[in-house]
Amino acid sequence: MSTLVLGAGGFLGLNIVDALVAAGSTPRCGRRVRSNVIPLRSRKLPMVVADLEQPETLREAMRDTKTVVHAAGYYPRLSLDYEGAIRIGRTQLENVLDAAAASGVERVVYVSSTATIAPRADGSASTEADGFASVPGFGLYHDLKWTMESIALAEQRLEVVIACPGACIGPWDLRVGTSALVVGIARGVNPPHPDGIVNIVDARDVGQLVAKMALSTTSVPKRVLMAAHNRQVHPMLESLAKRYGVAPPSAPLRADEAKALAFSEESRAAECGGRPAVSREIVDLIVHGAPVDASLATQALGARFRSWTETLDAFDDWARRMRLIPEQPGYWSTEHGSESITQP
Amino acid sequence: MEANQSHNLDEKILRVIAELSLVRLADIKPTDRLREDLGMDSVASMELLSALAEEFDLEVEMEEAMAITTVDGVMEMAKKRLLAA
Repeated sequence: MSTLVLGAGGFLGLNIVDALVAAGSTPRCGRRVRSNVIPLRSRKLPMVVADLEQPETLREAMRDTKTVVHAAGYYPRLSLDYEGAIRIGRTQLENVLDAAAASGVERVVYVSSTATIAPRADGSASTEADGFASVPGFGLYHDLKWTMESIALAEQRLEVVIACPGACIGPWDLRVGTSALVVGIARGVNPPHPDGIVNIVDARDVGQLVAKMALSTTSVPKRVLMAAHNRQVHPMLESLAKRYGVAPPSAPLRADEAKALAFSEESRAAECGGRPAVSREIVDLIVHGAPVDASLATQALGARFRSWTETLDAFDDWARRMRLIPEQPGYWSTEHGSESITQP
Repeated sequence: MEANQSHNLDEKILRVIAELSLVRLADIKPTDRLREDLGMDSVASMELLSALAEEFDLEVEMEEAMAITTVDGVMEMAKKRLLAA
């Protein structure tokens, strides 16, 4: 009986896979037919096709599986199709849970988000006990994550435990998701942003904690927050600008300005391709961000979160090797000479 | 690698590129840039290199893959890896 990781080739998936291997496990790595499996191939681990839209592949992938780590929760690149995204997220998670129940899987570790943690009225740090009673209504990302987590929480056929990581920074963020602001600053781009609180966590710490939730032979908490540092975004970007020797970031946008810009940028990206200068998801996570208290992860799973400096140094080293961060802010050399950088 | 083997490999690579970029095989030139000329974003470029790694059983490191930006670069990488195998 083994562990299957869905989304194994993705950002968190690779960190979870590495943590499982470090803990002595040999996970099977779920993948889509068409996906980047270069990092998985170099790890020499068994791969199996597990397409969340094709239940028969999930049932086959889950054969003889004791634990499924679901790190492939739907994550739309743009927030323009609300109904469609909610429908996809719901269907995919239902497919995973149905296949797990039919295959005799004992535990599913579902990787969710701190977006499902409700802010407290008094501004104090929220814990796992703080959930939204109904859909948050902040925007697609929060609503999608809440909808999917509600399905996971309601599952009765098998044990489902939920990991709620904050803004993950670390190696293997090849799509430059949550690290977009760090990469933007390091490239000498002035990233438009609102201000608010983000809950930073090292992706390697998340990998280790999710691996513990998967491998534990005793009961684990139903829902575990994974966040190490509650940081105000604008001062964090100012300190990053100093680190990279670039001009300080422009003043933060108001929430309504940031949402309008995100809508216009996402509309442009939908029409012309490329990525938006700022996404609605990032705007909502910052604008509605609240401090969280992840002490349950420390008490129940022995979490020892890395410092921000350690996280940033490791990310910087990896991102330079992957050419996501150039040797010199604003420019880097290519096989065709020097190229100006416009956006992450 | 002999000339006809090299030509066959180029053909196969171009076919995979055409499939993933949705650009007609006949329109793809070695000097084309994956992003700017073939409209592939970073995700599609990685999927292309991954597909080639699987098709030809190549050992490719991500650092190397991330540095490739042109059709020529893809072909060179594949040939280098096949010769090393």
